[in-house]
Amino acid sequence: MISGGQNYVSSAPVFSNDAKRLLVCTGSTVSVFSTATGSRVSSLEGHSGPVTALVVVPDSSTLLSFCWTASVDGTIRHWDFSVPECVKIIDLHFPVFSMVVPSLLSPREENDAKTRPDVFAYVSVQNPNAEANCLSPRCGQIRKCNLTNFHAVSSLILKETERPESLTISPSGKFLGIKDKRKLHIWKVPKVDSDSAVSKKITLHHSKTITVLALHPMERIVAAGDVTGRILIWRGFGAQKFMHSGGLVNGRSTNDEEDKPGVRENDDAESCSTWHWHPSGVRLLSFSSDGAYLYSGGKEGVLVLWQLDTGKKNFLPRIGSPLLYFVDSPDPSLSSISCADNQIHILKMPSMEIIRSISGIKPCLSSQDICEGLCSRAAFDYTSGLVAVQTENYGIQFYSLFANRGLYEVQVCERNHQPVDEVTVVVSLVELSVDGSMMGTVEVKLPEDGVGGLVCLKFWDLDDNKRFSVSTLIYEPHRDAHISAIAFNPTRRMAVSLSYGGDFKIWVCKEEIKQKGQMLQNSGWMCHAVGSYKNKAMRAAAFSADGSVLAVAADNVITLWDPNNNVLVAVVGETLMPITSLGFAGKSYYLVSVCHGSKPQLSVWSMSRLAAFWSYKIQIEAVSFTIDFSYFAVLALLPESNEYAFKGDGIILLFNVTNPTPMASWSVTKAKGGGLAFLKGYPSEQLQSLLAYINGDREYVIFHPHSKEAFELSRIRQDDHVLEETGQFGYTSIYGELPKFDPKRNLTSSISSAASERPWETIFSGSSHMLPPLTKLCSEFLESLLEKKTPTVE
Amino acid sequence: MEEARVQRSFPVKPKLKSKARTPKQTAESKYWSSFKTQQIPDLISVPSLTFSPTAPHSFAAAHSASLTLFSAQTLAPTATISSFSDAVSCASFRSDALLLAASDLSGLVQVFDAKSRTPLRRLRSHTRPCRFVHFPRLDKLHLISAADDALVKLWDVAEETPVAEFLGHKDYVRCGDSSPVNSDVFITGSYDHVVKLWDARVGDSKSSLQLNHAAPVEDVVFLPAGGMVATAGGNSVKLWDLIGGGKLVYSMESHNKTVTSICVGRVGRDFGEESNQFRIMSVGLDGYLKVFDYGALKVTHSMRFPAPLLSVGYSPDCSTRVIGTSNGVIYASKRRVKEIEKEKVSESSLFWRVAPLEHTEKKVLRPSHFRYFRRGQGEKPSEGDYLVMRPKRVKLAEHDKLLNKFRHGEALVSVLESKNPGNVLAVMEELVARRKLLKCVSNLDVEKLELLLAFLHRYCTTPRYSRLLMGLTKKVLEMRADDIRGSQALKNHVRNLKRSVEEEIRVQMSLQEIQGIISPLLKIAGR
Repeated sequence: MISGGQNYVSSAPVFSNDAKRLLVCTGSTVSVFSTATGSRVSSLEGHSGPVTALVVVPDSSTLLSFCWTASVDGTIRHWDFSVPECVKIIDLHFPVFSMVVPSLLSPREENDAKTRPDVFAYVSVQNPNAEANCLSPRCGQIRKCNLTNFHAVSSLILKETERPESLTISPSGKFLGIKDKRKLHIWKVPKVDSDSAVSKKITLHHSKTITVLALHPMERIVAAGDVTGRILIWRGFGAQKFMHSGGLVNGRSTNDEEDKPGVRENDDAESCSTWHWHPSGVRLLSFSSDGAYLYSGGKEGVLVLWQLDTGKKNFLPRIGSPLLYFVDSPDPSLSSISCADNQIHILKMPSMEIIRSISGIKPCLSSQDICEGLCSRAAFDYTSGLVAVQTENYGIQFYSLFANRGLYEVQVCERNHQPVDEVTVVVSLVELSVDGSMMGTVEVKLPEDGVGGLVCLKFWDLDDNKRFSVSTLIYEPHRDAHISAIAFNPTRRMAVSLSYGGDFKIWVCKEEIKQKGQMLQNSGWMCHAVGSYKNKAMRAAAFSADGSVLAVAADNVITLWDPNNNVLVAVVGETLMPITSLGFAGKSYYLVSVCHGSKPQLSVWSMSRLAAFWSYKIQIEAVSFTIDFSYFAVLALLPESNEYAFKGDGIILLFNVTNPTPMASWSVTKAKGGGLAFLKGYPSEQLQSLLAYINGDREYVIFHPHSKEAFELSRIRQDDHVLEETGQFGYTSIYGELPKFDPKRNLTSSISSAASERPWETIFSGSSHMLPPLTKLCSEFLESLLEKKTPTVE
Repeated sequence: MEEARVQRSFPVKPKLKSKARTPKQTAESKYWSSFKTQQIPDLISVPSLTFSPTAPHSFAAAHSASLTLFSAQTLAPTATISSFSDAVSCASFRSDALLLAASDLSGLVQVFDAKSRTPLRRLRSHTRPCRFVHFPRLDKLHLISAADDALVKLWDVAEETPVAEFLGHKDYVRCGDSSPVNSDVFITGSYDHVVKLWDARVGDSKSSLQLNHAAPVEDVVFLPAGGMVATAGGNSVKLWDLIGGGKLVYSMESHNKTVTSICVGRVGRDFGEESNQFRIMSVGLDGYLKVFDYGALKVTHSMRFPAPLLSVGYSPDCSTRVIGTSNGVIYASKRRVKEIEKEKVSESSLFWRVAPLEHTEKKVLRPSHFRYFRRGQGEKPSEGDYLVMRPKRVKLAEHDKLLNKFRHGEALVSVLESKNPGNVLAVMEELVARRKLLKCVSNLDVEKLELLLAFLHRYCTTPRYSRLLMGLTKKVLEMRADDIRGSQALKNHVRNLKRSVEEEIRVQMSLQEIQGIISPLLKIAGR
């Protein structure tokens, strides 16, 4: 079983100490990526719930590679990620949503290394008891726990919140803070921590809901972003409470309010300033490691770099997706940003240019509900195991299911994408041919108040680099009616497009005509035939395995056509609801149709008798057919009452067409919006085809449908060659390797150069009219002054 | 791993236009249309055009009672012979181009010195208009003539006497040709539909072979190998195999009216698969010139002229083509001959090779010269070079820049002023996608609204644009009704708009009528 398609941006990634690795929380595992190549190196597996927090143990020698992870399953684990193996497991019994370890960050005193203090972690946990008694809605708790000698979570509760909040820690490890609606709570971490040590806390207030906060690495500065896009910066917070230990009340703090510009009420800060550039809520805030700059980002997909003293801005625009996290690395020339479209971009730092992307599978379009009925699901490439998904920025992403990484993207609609804009252009359909060499896409431009609007059909061909490029563009192929489906002929370069307007068009690629002897230079798709059946809306079509029969669902009947001559051959049956999906089961004479709506139906029709064979009343989400055999698999949505019985909201059923009893079944979760596809297996594994299930969150599993037990597929990474990074960082990355300093050799060479002749003594001797011209002398003179290094062979 | 990618900025682009399904020109038709045509006017119908067989290849055109010689290089008249009593019908150069024979409608055949243009011999024997005179290609002593008295005569030019008379045609004899391989064999075509092959050695005026063209024969020509002839008459050009006993090979019937003249031409090009192949060129009263590939048996090029064509000539060096018309214009075409000129130049430089060697020492560029600052910029990369490409800059038009700055109204106005309807539509579509078009329209001031209405009037019925523009027009009229009422200029625009819409409705109705007529026919045909 191969699983993949995890969300890379559920929480912030972390760089390793040498900045050569990037650790990313991917579901219940942590994936380690190489920053030099962007490919996955290894993964830490062991957690049974989503990993929520990741702390790399800092180390000045950059050799050690230990990290702590916390997960919703209630455990904290300690890993050596270079091996990778789990070193230690601590069971907290509380689902952990955030964890920071301040003592790792603060500089450790070298002399008392033997009597090392215990390492304490601050965790944000969900109190399971809170769910039970509905009286207190505050189920999030900030607690402390001792990682070195763990017995139980400290009973001390720093703060209770409505939901588990994420903890933010200052890079120096002195302060940690959380946001709580319109307030910020900041604690000072005690010098010597213990289970019972009470941290001092201050609270800062704001009039809007705060979305994110960041703490300055050196000074007592905190920055917070709110939902309106404002960034607030409090300087010198906690001047009274944190600085003056011993409870001495400073007389100054109480009397003059005007000394604290912008600070609300009695908040403990010296000043508060506001910056406003972001048009919508701020999602990320981060101070640069030297504390001179502040990075901010939001939904509009622009990384803004603020100079902290002056408020001057610098931008990295057109990232194209809402930004979530910005992470600095120990290497000052690298950092990373995580985007909401499941991409992690690695930035080259001073110039802020994207040098590499770690691309996960892109999430479903957020606009799906805006244009319901227009958007289709992902398309699968049977042969090469690719999935093509629509992206927000009007493109198609090709994601390799076996290698679990994004391959490339093509831009379907050449338009600038702004994440904040209203969605008016949608790539509504994508379809791949069986051999993966042709693609059809449909883009829809929605009209404004009845004016404008356009439907474009595009056919794509693979070019020499195995990437798709546009072959033919057709404007309004079915006049103004929307296209409901595209289907490709498995044997020829032929496709059919259907419209809700009640007609279908058969398209033929012109290259085929060229083969028949005519000389045509420009290859492209052209309309071969147009057909309609009683002007009924057509929603699904399928070619038979040999490509000689075209089945088109016209509302609730199935019409069978000869695609070459465009002749209606037969009309089959009638269903209660319009047919939305159709397919021939392998090479058999059976046709499978799916209806949605109030009376859902899965029916199998026999082509030899032109009649229904068997049917189920079941809500089908997706259906997939094998190419060679007469099997097909359906993804059925279960009624809500059955969800507990099956431990999931969906079920995959594998049928043989001739038999209405399913051959196998698997229950799955998040089936709504999911997809199903048979993929060609590896050549070594005979002809067995694999079944891929992709759920509503675009996570997928691939498994053998015929093996009885959950047979573990050997995870083959075809092209995951880990290039050994020879990259240098820090000083050497800029100036290159310094020559090795060898004191002995230097000594001898300096002696030898000193013993050489001294030409400047003789150069100018002689009468002036005999001297060579000055221009010639000058270079000779300067040359003689230079210290010559004679190459010494050792 | 996916390569690093930042979103690019895309300019708005007009919709693509569909490409022609068939390629516009084949290589050969490109060759034939590479002849640049110019008109030689002010003549009276040109029944005959003939090229000199030797080097400068000047040509002679017969028109009314005179014969004019033209230079093939400049296409200018060089001399005119006008010692004719009646209209000149035909002319012919001897194979060495020293003599020129011409016949006129009085039946007289005259032989001139081609250089001095003095009449040397007057051959009078035909009693009816003589329409055909021809020097045999391999014989310098004799001359063939034929006339409307149905007689074909072979003359001894020096003695001004007919050597032989060939009887056998039953109607006017208007054309003929001599064999390119045998000095004694020639053919003539007559209005009695028959083409006869004569041998001068056979004295009893019996034809060796006869071919029935099934229409009055207007022209006949030997193909270069000498084994085949092409005859023109009626709407067809026919190919005959003489060696095979006069078998009809092919009948080319792509002219719509009588084919008046044919000639053989060579594709004078050194490359391509059809280089140095021979083609039959035929002209007809329908005004078409057709080029027929008799190897592949198909018409490879076709060209239309605005007058009935009477005669065609093609120079042996493949550089000049002349076509005579009934309204007195000669369409003379010359091919652009760059390659040949280059060849000549290189030949001459071969001859003078010694001289230029002294100048080959490269001049050192000094900063005093402009080229100094551009040196090396046009350098081509060599094989092993690693190319560092500069990313291509996206050129942004004025409206793109304005759109990038979200100044939508200004972008709309700027593109309306630029007068490219494709761009206007692209900007409108982009505004629709941003949900700003109607706002822009409602904010336009009166002058700009006039601009918009003028655009709508002009293009709203164009099928490519009408889907968006019709809806927009309706909206504009609804939204800006008050402004339109207030301004006379706008009222005029709306009146024009109304007129064009009414016209479009009329067109649509007539189209629907036609569709109604056609659809039953299609139904029947489809059965």
